[in-house]
Amino acid sequence: MSELTSDSIRKHFNNRQILNDIFLSCKPGEIVGLFGRNGSGKSTLLKIIFGSIKAEGKYVAIDNVKVDSLYEHREMIKYLPQDNFLPNHVSISQIISCFCAKENIEMLKKDPLVKPFLNKKIKQLSGGEKRILEILILIHSKATYFLLDEPFNGVAPLNVEIIKSLIKKHSKNKGFIITDHDYMNVLDISSRFVLIDDGNTRQIGGIDDLIEYGYLPTSSRKND
Amino acid sequence: MRIVYSLWLFNIKFVFLSGIISTVLPLIFISYVNLNVGAGIAFLFLTPTFHYLVYELRNPGEYYFYYNLGLSKFYLWLNTTLISIIIGVLLISL
Repeated sequence: MSELTSDSIRKHFNNRQILNDIFLSCKPGEIVGLFGRNGSGKSTLLKIIFGSIKAEGKYVAIDNVKVDSLYEHREMIKYLPQDNFLPNHVSISQIISCFCAKENIEMLKKDPLVKPFLNKKIKQLSGGEKRILEILILIHSKATYFLLDEPFNGVAPLNVEIIKSLIKKHSKNKGFIITDHDYMNVLDISSRFVLIDDGNTRQIGGIDDLIEYGYLPTSSRKND
Repeated sequence: MRIVYSLWLFNIKFVFLSGIISTVLPLIFISYVNLNVGAGIAFLFLTPTFHYLVYELRNPGEYYFYYNLGLSKFYLWLNTTLISIIIGVLLISL
């Protein structure tokens, strides 16, 4: 069975152990919601799994085959960073041709969300438009696993719904690990929840556990 | 092919700018330095400088576009170094 496995991940900053022997896995068909307070190491963990930053200890494997470099897993894992990452000087049409799987290029260029911007450059889009485009481009690549760091950041509520339905639609044969402080939307689409607490991961059941472990205030229960 | 295309997208942001300034600079100092030698030396140093200014300082987030295509920071710097050496030495030896 296909699976992205990350194990024994250790990372410290300035004598503070951020991640302590972390284990996190994801299978195609799963959406893993990753929670944690500010500074708990969520983004760092995703970057380590992706391979863009180094860790003191790390084991990342896809289908039990260890992957070490960005080049090795370029067709398997894609990462959406917190901030916009598409190059400003390139047109959207060029980016789609460069990034997406061949079979998806024409389909994506005809997508109503993309078509109006096709000949524009990235710098001509708003932050929210860039975010939707980034997610669309990532999802339509060949990759099987997606690490999405704050996908709902700066996105209008209507577009959040579009992003959620896109992720759900593609999660049938792809695996997603999502982290975002917009916890209600993450809870809504995730099939499994993981909390990073004190450098360790905990499988949690839902909002009550998030309150119990101090990620959410107790008043969240009333609002739910 | 996709890697070559993404490297092209990476380079156009600073290599052409470096080329233009490397050509103009020796024209200013034409009485002190040979045109092609001046341009070659300027290109050799300006290309990595512009890489640093454009990507490390101004747009560090854009690295993730290239990381997603399998190009690490090491390979991107290697690409810049090779381009500056090859074109710089070619200009000097003209």
